[in-house]
Amino acid sequence: MARPGFVLEVDERTPPLLVHEGEGFRLEKFPLGTRVVYPPDPLPPLRDVEGAIRRALLDPIDSEPLPALLRPGMRLTIAFDDISLPLPPMRRPDVRQRVIEQVLEMAARRGVDDVQLVVANSLHRRMTPAEIKRTVGERVFRSFWPEALRNFDAEDPKGLAYLGRTDKGEDVEIDRRAAESDLLVYVNINLVAMDGGVKSVPVGLGSYRSIRHHHTVHTMLHSRSYMDPENSALHHSCARMHRLVAQHVRIFQVETTLNNETFPTAFGFLNRREWEWSLADQAAYLAAKRANDAAPPRVRREVFRRIEAPYGVTGVHAGETEAVHRRTLANVHRQQLVEVDGQSDVLVVGLPYICPYNVNSIMNPVLVNCLGLGYFFNLYRGRPLVRRGGAMIVFHPTPWEFHQVHHPSYIDFFEEVLAETTDPAQVEAKFEQQYATDEWYRHLYRTSYAYHGVHPFYMWYWTAHAMEYLGDVIYVGADRRAVARMGFRTASTFADALEMATDTVGRSPSITYLHCPPLVMAEVR
Amino acid sequence: MASLLEDLRLVARGWRWTHRPLVPRSAERFLPAPDPKEFPTAWARTPLARAVREGVQRFVLRPLVWTETEPRVEGLDHLEGLRPPVMFVANHASHLDAPLVLCSLPRRWRERTATAAAADYFFDVLWRAAATALVFNAFPIERKGARRGTGTARRLIEERWNLLVFPEGTRSRDGWLQRFRLGPARLAVEYRLPVVPVAIRGAYAAMPRGRGWPRPGRLPVSVRYGPPLHPEEGEDARGLNARLLRALERLWDEDATSWWASLRREAEGKTPSLAGPPAARWRRVWEASRPLPRPRPRPVWEAGESTTRGGGEER
Repeated sequence: MARPGFVLEVDERTPPLLVHEGEGFRLEKFPLGTRVVYPPDPLPPLRDVEGAIRRALLDPIDSEPLPALLRPGMRLTIAFDDISLPLPPMRRPDVRQRVIEQVLEMAARRGVDDVQLVVANSLHRRMTPAEIKRTVGERVFRSFWPEALRNFDAEDPKGLAYLGRTDKGEDVEIDRRAAESDLLVYVNINLVAMDGGVKSVPVGLGSYRSIRHHHTVHTMLHSRSYMDPENSALHHSCARMHRLVAQHVRIFQVETTLNNETFPTAFGFLNRREWEWSLADQAAYLAAKRANDAAPPRVRREVFRRIEAPYGVTGVHAGETEAVHRRTLANVHRQQLVEVDGQSDVLVVGLPYICPYNVNSIMNPVLVNCLGLGYFFNLYRGRPLVRRGGAMIVFHPTPWEFHQVHHPSYIDFFEEVLAETTDPAQVEAKFEQQYATDEWYRHLYRTSYAYHGVHPFYMWYWTAHAMEYLGDVIYVGADRRAVARMGFRTASTFADALEMATDTVGRSPSITYLHCPPLVMAEVR
Repeated sequence: MASLLEDLRLVARGWRWTHRPLVPRSAERFLPAPDPKEFPTAWARTPLARAVREGVQRFVLRPLVWTETEPRVEGLDHLEGLRPPVMFVANHASHLDAPLVLCSLPRRWRERTATAAAADYFFDVLWRAAATALVFNAFPIERKGARRGTGTARRLIEERWNLLVFPEGTRSRDGWLQRFRLGPARLAVEYRLPVVPVAIRGAYAAMPRGRGWPRPGRLPVSVRYGPPLHPEEGEDARGLNARLLRALERLWDEDATSWWASLRREAEGKTPSLAGPPAARWRRVWEASRPLPRPRPRPVWEAGESTTRGGGEER
């Protein structure tokens, strides 16, 4: 049985603890009494993943078996999560490939000819053919690419179908082929509690017209947190949209969950608790740290980019979306949830090199901020780990660096919008429309590999809850200019950051360090 | 260069030269299960290892212990007429206990005796495991978890090795006797092994838990062997365990007073308990760490009283 996560209290026996900082990591000494939230050990993976998938498809939850839904002459669409999941990309075979292959086996046996596969990339960049091939496997790729296997295009007027409005007046517009299919099979990976469920189809296959209703500052401020679907306005909106979509097309959801086995053997020390490091782990840390620090940035990025996570599959559930997702969430919580007693004055996080939007790319300052104040801050259920008005200390170098192909609108957002205001509400009111409808960004999104023009705005809204809630945000070891542009302060060292935070939280604050990755979610009492 | 030194310094803070993990207190409840492989010790019972062990015990260990403490050994005559395998069972309050017993045994007993040692403590790293196995003829015993087993002990008994075991499982924290675990008694009942109780007094005062070397001053310690207990027909492990405990208490009392006095007190049901006084921890430790009085020549004017003394006072 896997060991549960727990909250460490730093005492004089505690060795320096590992902190991620972008494409690097360090050991950092924490003040005595600091609480450190450690994730549970990886759950034992399913031994027979193929069998689990087959059982899920043949004996689904609140639905007929998949073969019973398949018939000759029908239109079958299979949509699947894009490259933003999982993080880091998982070692092949990707679990999506394994599910899709079995779905297709059943479809072939039932004589279904009209099959299309769609990457549910939403307003994310299109996946390259190589990335798609890696995700679905060679067999599927060769059979369907490029005629019947494609990226979703949220800006293709002919490719979208408007399905109507929810009872709250939210427009619902999704991929036409999916909407007009006899059966839509959605295959996803749920890495964190935010993923999947009712969010899969309306967001993954939704257009800007649809998504703009829930990716707003207002929704974010009313999602406490967006990692907790029950208390997330974002998810409530998605649920309304999902139900409307489900009135038009039969959705068969296949959800998979992974364990916490995030780093391969060479980086095994990143998966272990520091006082359990063997001599080999300590040597590996030292070697990796020295080599990494000495390597040119390009080499360093390439090394990190090649990391493939040896994730194990912990669950496969299929059937009616909401019923399936309840099981999925339980699995995610089983792997990530840790009870934490009360809030603290300071929350410390070390951000890794990857977030959902920079796979095979560069983590620009907006994405760094989104990962810290968006994702990591929201990794809670109940109450945030830090008290209202508290401080958050973020480890990341935050270089002023952008991927010219993937993030063109981010560059302008950073240079133009944030130079004028960093207030999410003002950003939304004044600039969103302009970026969302800009022809050049639209063109790059559709024909190149660019994120949609509106995407940096969403990343900024993602942090609205934290920005409204926190009294201070301090980056450690970051590019001062880049961080100042986002409205925050920079410290050279952790000790300096704590010193700076005294303005907000006093001289002897309580501190909590979220030891992540591997992913952990705090249940704060 | 400076950053390399800084990195080394930080890593070294987590370095454990002894390889015994220094675990943050709040993490102690969450340690991983021990390595499922048992350290092999059969090599330590080969003729060559036995010869080396005899040399180490005789020429290094015994002189060391006998110069750092002042042991008094009694009751070895109870071993007359016994044949291996037997089980030596002693109270455990100090790292001195095993050397005291092993080095006080006659050679023919000593060289056929294996010691049960905690796997998580003595066998956690290669060099310590090898040294323990060689010097004490030790074999690993799991103290907790699902792997608690007596496979090696059984094999040793079947090969006619004597066992030295400390049924408390760990050294006493306050010098007084802890609860006896049932494992040794079960083995004794199953194999109908004679069990020789050994009372060790003064070892806690000489070298308590937490010390790496005996206290200075050659403090006296006493090792007293008692008459062997034979598992009776129909007796279960609990019964033998209780009998063993009583025997050890009487033996302790015999060492503190006299044989006759201890018998009288046993008959009256007044043998003092080894669980120690029911008092605050510091008082228990205080009492247990009081060194034994040094044996001194008895004044001639007391010579005539020796056979009649039965008052139970410390000599």
